[in-house]
Amino acid sequence: MDINFQPLLDSWVFLLRAIGTTVLLSVLSMLVGFVVGVFVGALRTYGGRLVGALLAFYVDTMRAIPLLVVLVWMFFAFPILFGVRIDSMTAAVVALGLHLGAYVAEAIRAGLTSVRRGQMYAALALGMSRTQAIRTIILPQALIRMLPPLGSLFTIAIKDSAIASVIAVPELLRQSQTLAGQTFRPFEIYTSAMFVYFLLCYPVARGTDALYRRLSHLGSS
Amino acid sequence: MTHTPILAARDVRKRYGAVVALDGVSLDVERGEVVCLIGPSGSGKSTLLRCLNALETVDSGTVAFEGRDIRAKADDARLVRRRMGMVFQNFELFPHLSVLRNLTIGPTTVLRLDMAEAEQRARALLLRVGLIDKAMVHPSALSGGQQQRVAIARALAMEPALMLFDEPTSALDPETIGEVLAVMKGLADDGMTMVVVTHEMDFARRVADRVVVFDHGRIIEVGPPAQIFEAPHAARTRDFLSHLGWHGESIDIGIKEKT
Amino acid sequence: MSLHWDVVFDNWRIFLDGALLTILLTVTTMALAIPGGLLLAFLRLSPIRAVSLAAAAFVEFFRATPLLLQIYWVYYVLPAAFGIQLDQLTTAIVGLTCNVSAFNSETFRAGILSIREGQWNAGLALGMSRAQVMGRIVLPQAVMRVLPALASTWVSLFKDTSLVAIISVPELSYVSLKLRAETYRILEVLTAVAVIYWLLGYPQAKLVDWIHRRWKVVE
Repeated sequence: MDINFQPLLDSWVFLLRAIGTTVLLSVLSMLVGFVVGVFVGALRTYGGRLVGALLAFYVDTMRAIPLLVVLVWMFFAFPILFGVRIDSMTAAVVALGLHLGAYVAEAIRAGLTSVRRGQMYAALALGMSRTQAIRTIILPQALIRMLPPLGSLFTIAIKDSAIASVIAVPELLRQSQTLAGQTFRPFEIYTSAMFVYFLLCYPVARGTDALYRRLSHLGSS
Repeated sequence: MTHTPILAARDVRKRYGAVVALDGVSLDVERGEVVCLIGPSGSGKSTLLRCLNALETVDSGTVAFEGRDIRAKADDARLVRRRMGMVFQNFELFPHLSVLRNLTIGPTTVLRLDMAEAEQRARALLLRVGLIDKAMVHPSALSGGQQQRVAIARALAMEPALMLFDEPTSALDPETIGEVLAVMKGLADDGMTMVVVTHEMDFARRVADRVVVFDHGRIIEVGPPAQIFEAPHAARTRDFLSHLGWHGESIDIGIKEKT
Repeated sequence: MSLHWDVVFDNWRIFLDGALLTILLTVTTMALAIPGGLLLAFLRLSPIRAVSLAAAAFVEFFRATPLLLQIYWVYYVLPAAFGIQLDQLTTAIVGLTCNVSAFNSETFRAGILSIREGQWNAGLALGMSRAQVMGRIVLPQAVMRVLPALASTWVSLFKDTSLVAIISVPELSYVSLKLRAETYRILEVLTAVAVIYWLLGYPQAKLVDWIHRRWKVVE
């Protein structure tokens, strides 16, 4: 078997840009997923019945439907339904973010409910409102406790960004396909792409674990 | 001018499902008074304490603080809690914040004090409870007794008119109970109004102005410590005290050598 | 905008066949990935360093790269580089099984490691044989810890089978995307496939929640 990395090296700018898009897409969908997840998780924990039921429907729907289907629906069906144009990157960020947000919400809810009731009592006894207590006392502890699951959700966000190749977002997997088609070098290209994903994901997983080991004492009341 | 007690509970009732926690409890607390609530576990002392600052809603009856019904409006509960400090059995310090920040978070978020002023107040209080050198560490680095002293300082940082203590020494190792009781005695000596749920009979006997004995969600006896500990009127009070091994003699734990 | 839902109802057979293949893929993969995961877990706990390192590398690598790329790799790289030609369905099962085995092995490893030595000693101290301790004390506890994680992986796998659509395995996603291209009833077809996945996946998600509550570890 002959191995030739030359075509890969010749296209390094092309591939670097693709990696950049993967990173951007991952970060943006994490951001959307995190914000959605914190609000949904908090509202499901502390909100009323009706809000809780609606948000439970959202979370369980995202847990039941494959990301691919959410993504394809967002890109192809959503614009028809609402008569709007939406570019593939935006569709990918929204779909990935909403999908991830459901899982973040579950982690946040588990974190919030794991904080002892006495912490809420103590905050209220100081005269804080419930919102103040949740924001300054309960949520920070929940986030620290939930660092390991949040970390693995963020690596999932990086991996799932590859699914956006299906709607032609010019991220790493999509551009690898293009290059593999042009050069007939699938082994070199797909193997290299795998290592790049590994190098992106592994530090996030290990980094959050290390952070958690340093911070865990701050989350245990 | 008619006299109003700082805190007045009238016929307070509270049940959890089939369990009656408070079965018509009335209690007045005067300014500067130290009232100790004693009685068997599950007799309703801690529930009453949480009703006094509206952490628990009462089923019926009223609680008035400085003449204001704490149930009248939702916001009233917060106004009342600003003026009432509370100390918990399990300290409930905020683990993600430094000791100093634990003391300033109430004043800055609730009273809108600026940070410099809040820190000045916090440092003075840490000095008072003997923990100024621990200002920058996190609660997890402190012993139980130290954590409880910080918790007392945190409540005092709001400059409350009254302090509620919910079994403040029950979760402590025996060797650190004394330091917490000493801080509490110091507060009492300074004229703080205090309502203390406690199993430390010696503290109640030495520090309380009045002792309230609970049993099965009711107050069965109220009186000065001398009456409760030396000549209790109610048979159940005698039973409870003898159960604890209290036979009228004085047992010194902690307070003497610390003060 | 006019909607023509009859495109969905007229082609119910296509959706049904796709859904059946999705279920078949899920069941087959899990059936292979449970022994696969156990094998990897035991290899990782092996005292021979080279073996445990190789297993660890396999597991970490498959956990930290996209499943989609793994499927591509099996589909394009194996034939080109090693002359191994697999049909699409086999490729799909191999790719999914490697991926899920890696995740399962971590589940099993955590389950095995979580049983404290004290439990062994307590069993032996009662006069039980090692086999009895294993069968009556250790394994039941390990299953309790493993089952919830395994259930979560099951639902992820069910959703992830949609990704083999990219190599034209005619499961539910593929047949829907194809139908969409053929009929141009984009909104109807894509909404229908979302609803079908929901109908299949929602009960599974609820079942997972129940298993998590039922088998919650209390110590």
